[in-house]
Amino acid sequence: MQIQLKLYGSSKMLSDKEILNIELPNNSNIETLRSTLNKIISEKCLKNNLENLSKTAAFFSATDEVVNDNYKLKNKELISIIPPIGGG
Amino acid sequence: MTLHTAIVKTEENKISSEEAKKFILSEQNGAESIFVGRVRNENSGKEVTAVTYDVHDQAVIKSFQSICSDAKSKFDKNASIFLEHAKGYVSVGEISILIAVSSAHRDEAFKICRYILEEIKHKSPIWKKEHYIEGNEQWLPGYSLRPKEEIK
Repeated sequence: MQIQLKLYGSSKMLSDKEILNIELPNNSNIETLRSTLNKIISEKCLKNNLENLSKTAAFFSATDEVVNDNYKLKNKELISIIPPIGGG
Repeated sequence: MTLHTAIVKTEENKISSEEAKKFILSEQNGAESIFVGRVRNENSGKEVTAVTYDVHDQAVIKSFQSICSDAKSKFDKNASIFLEHAKGYVSVGEISILIAVSSAHRDEAFKICRYILEEIKHKSPIWKKEHYIEGNEQWLPGYSLRPKEEIK
């Protein structure tokens, strides 16, 4: 299956595009997405900049609600990655 | 109407304190408190030239409305609130956030203004990327929205 990850904040270092398509095993949940994200960060040699991203980021569903690690992802689902925030 | 919240795209518009003052003006409110946040030229010993603000538009507007509504319930239901935050590239000296509040009395006006600012920092999905005089840039650390019980 594939999900679309909408990038915000520091996660924008992962791609020049706003959305990153990520391949995941069928029936994946947010926890699987975190592990996959860690691999992508290593592959792109971004460990120095995004070391804690997969651990500290929250994820929003398409309805802009935080989803927990057990949330089952659907094929082609749009998920937003929410790195630690700091506006104002 | 007693509440205005908006994200201002900096390539199209600027945040205006004059608009805010007009919006909160009310004969029933005798106190006004205005907080203006601007990009400053230094952070942690580094010379800053600008900040780029990234914003999750829908979630931020939802959080702004919820925070302002909570503030009114807590302190003064008749308060008028004007809240705008910049999105995009903001140079040193320019406004990044403006919170204007009018309330019946000064204490509530100050409290509402402070409450909104602190809540935004912990609830509204906004991110800052600082640009430095040397030409490099850096996303700043922040507050995690991941449920605390999940972080091991």
